[in-house]
Amino acid sequence: MNSKNIMYILKRIGLALLTVWVVITVTFFVMHAVPGGPFLGEKALSESAMKTLEAKYGMDKPLMTQYFTYLKDIVTRFDFGPSIKQRGRMVIDVIADGMKTSAKLGLIAAFIALIIGVVLGAVAALRRNKFIDKCIMVITTAFVSMPSFIMGALLLIAFVVKLKWFPGNGATSGGLVLPIITLSLYPMAYITRLTRSSMLDVLGQDYIRTARAKGVSKWKIIFGHAMKNSLIPVITYFGPMIAYIVTGSIVVEQIFAVPGIGRAFVQCIINRDYPMIMGTTIILAILIVVMNMVSDILYKVVDPRIKFD
Amino acid sequence: MKKALAILLSLVMIVGLFAACGGNTNNETDPTGATETPANVNTEQINVCIASEPDHIDPALNSAVDGATLIAHLFSGLAKWAQKDDGSLEIVADAATALTEGVKNDDGTITYTYTLRDGLTWSDGQPLTANDFVFAWNRAASKELAADYGYMFEIVDGYEAMQAEDAPADAKLNAKVIDDKTLEVTLTTDVPYWNELLAFPTYFPVREDVVANEAWANEPATLISNGPYKMTAWSHNSVITLEKNDSFIDADSITMKKINFYLSDDANNMLANFQNGDWQLIDDVPTNEIANLKANYPDEFKVTGQIGTYYVCWNINEDILPAGAEVEDAETAREEIRSAISLLFDRNYIVEEISKGGEVPASSFVAMGLTDADNSEFYKNAGTSSDFDGYYDVSADAVQSNYDTAIETLKKYYDYDEATGKFTNFPTLTYLYNTNENHKAIGEYLQSALDGVGIKITLENQEWNTFLNTRKQGDFSIARNGWLADYNDPISFLDMWTSGSGNNDVQFGKGANKDLKHYSMDLTPYGVDITVENGTWAETYDLLIAKIKTCTDTELRYKLMHVAEDMLMATGCICPLYFYTDLFMINKNVQGFFSNPLGYKYFMYTSIAE
Repeated sequence: MNSKNIMYILKRIGLALLTVWVVITVTFFVMHAVPGGPFLGEKALSESAMKTLEAKYGMDKPLMTQYFTYLKDIVTRFDFGPSIKQRGRMVIDVIADGMKTSAKLGLIAAFIALIIGVVLGAVAALRRNKFIDKCIMVITTAFVSMPSFIMGALLLIAFVVKLKWFPGNGATSGGLVLPIITLSLYPMAYITRLTRSSMLDVLGQDYIRTARAKGVSKWKIIFGHAMKNSLIPVITYFGPMIAYIVTGSIVVEQIFAVPGIGRAFVQCIINRDYPMIMGTTIILAILIVVMNMVSDILYKVVDPRIKFD
Repeated sequence: MKKALAILLSLVMIVGLFAACGGNTNNETDPTGATETPANVNTEQINVCIASEPDHIDPALNSAVDGATLIAHLFSGLAKWAQKDDGSLEIVADAATALTEGVKNDDGTITYTYTLRDGLTWSDGQPLTANDFVFAWNRAASKELAADYGYMFEIVDGYEAMQAEDAPADAKLNAKVIDDKTLEVTLTTDVPYWNELLAFPTYFPVREDVVANEAWANEPATLISNGPYKMTAWSHNSVITLEKNDSFIDADSITMKKINFYLSDDANNMLANFQNGDWQLIDDVPTNEIANLKANYPDEFKVTGQIGTYYVCWNINEDILPAGAEVEDAETAREEIRSAISLLFDRNYIVEEISKGGEVPASSFVAMGLTDADNSEFYKNAGTSSDFDGYYDVSADAVQSNYDTAIETLKKYYDYDEATGKFTNFPTLTYLYNTNENHKAIGEYLQSALDGVGIKITLENQEWNTFLNTRKQGDFSIARNGWLADYNDPISFLDMWTSGSGNNDVQFGKGANKDLKHYSMDLTPYGVDITVENGTWAETYDLLIAKIKTCTDTELRYKLMHVAEDMLMATGCICPLYFYTDLFMINKNVQGFFSNPLGYKYFMYTSIAE
């Protein structure tokens, strides 16, 4: 790797850090600007109790002081502090708990989507305008356009209530099958369509024709030459998609009662659990920034023609 | 051949099933032989879902119903809720040998002495002592802990001194450890709900060395409890598993060996798990499914009473008189107007067509289920008319007459167009509610009911936490509201309206209302020498509540509480719509289950017929 590439990567890391800092700052101030607070409830706390709690979580200090203290804790110790709502639990533990499930679910779903998507896409491209191509296109169009709350609810009714094949909650691994399917359908359909069009594009290129003219076998052309190049758009999509899918889908987690980070995220916003909101936002932001960066760097590996600048 | 094989296989399976059940029965035989467990009964485990992840399982910090249910299984206080043979509920001694009578002291305070039963232990084997109770109470009431329910100790002597601004660090409740098995607690005044408080989670014991770790109640390993169950697993946001504590003193009476509390907040998901038979009880159902479920699951869809009122509250400082109106006594006019508007709503329509959960139309603020001095229903004795319960007639027959009365009253203050039957100069109001289908549907009904007489209201919904903040700040004209009692005493519905209360959303005695000398109160007919003419809210209502709180004569106390509710309802600021109910679904094979009026669910005595 030459120095230009290293410079590029360093620049990207710097930009990523800047992005995360912006996310922290914006979230922090917007969060405090939203009306309400973590100690509000249907039944009001006494004023002295409110004061005690505010002092306990450092919320009695001016907002700027709180902001700098928070930044310092993050930068020096990567310390997100304690959760306010779940007294005694650290934000990082709550996030780790949720991420474990969400990441497992997300990674399995992402790889299922990738493998099936690429295979179906390639098949559709090679059988262009044949019956099988049309079938694949119809099905993938349906999956791309059907929102996950409908797909999830349908699967829940069919496989949990009617057929009773799977449990309807994510407490056991059997209960993770349906959420994985629900999560993977959309990206799978999307990847199929991406692979198909880019494969068609590649198959029409001169170098494929040349290879064919030279008498290279059909399979070698597909796997050795066409496949690699047709995957570039898939990689562009796959990086951010992994970040998105791994960070949990509130809809899917809600429908199947999966203990993931998506539910925790929404819940902490409703509760105004400030340290939890900050913690989850930062972790999610880091994940997305990193995955974007990785997919950018992967381009170069797949296609040496792409230059960093 | 195939058919024969299938029949043979089925037979083998059936025999196997019976054999399995038979094995179970042997384990379940009551050692005393007093009760005979029927054959094929499963007491191995029950799966339930009452809510999502609980906020706290620390008895002192919990203020939610789902947390209280878990705590009732994990901990054991001096008293507990129990079901009698006829199905009714009572409060009985639990860790205490008996629920004793208090002894009156010379200064009017009451002292109770309790003796603990022999052989009480914590789940780690250490003995439970009187000090664990006294420690737990002081901790729960302390300013440092700042617990939601710290005020539950308000009636214990010493509480007020602990809360004072300059309270010394060692200020404690007047509760003493006499010896390891005996404790003594002094109340400022005798209250009829004292035993019920002893059965309330906030009063349950915790051990000092256990709670020294702030995160003690978050993991099974550190959660040391003293009740019928111990927590053996907690997969956060997923499932909490409780298993029978064999060293519990009353372990013999506990039937269910394992309870899995699944954690979900999605009513549709709960229903799916109930319908496929995985979960035996779910504590929430999708609102739009209620009618269906009622019809299709008549044995399993349950509605029980809950001590709470769903109501609409006005901001007392909102001026609703027409612009430029010249009225001699503006506040009296506003009171009449608000009360009249309250008569325009058909509460039967709301409970039958909108909420549909078996709710009861409400005509008073203090909810159904709270008892009066003579153990009759408090709400039935409320109001002044003997023709109906409460402050107005909510029967279906009275809708028209209520309407007519309301129109006549409003005509005094607003221009009425006889041709259209509408008022023409009523200012437009905003109805604030928190985002929720049911609240929205009720808001739309109120809107259409008022629109029929020319009163325009716009609906505004806010997300829960924002809504709480807006309502608390008094930044609204009319808002949706609801209140659930903490214990069976009407004071829990009345003391929230004092000027300084954090739950006083109406803003009584705040803002412009603070200096308004409008309220009168005459307690001489009750033998109390207090008369106030044209005083402020603080000079009347606050004083009355203070009087009730220190009143030791039970009968008088209840009479004064009726006076307080009369005062409250006369302002017209509170417009009750219905009394809450608790909806849940329970598998019809589950036996021995009960729930209390506070909504706690008890699974320890359940078994599942198979």
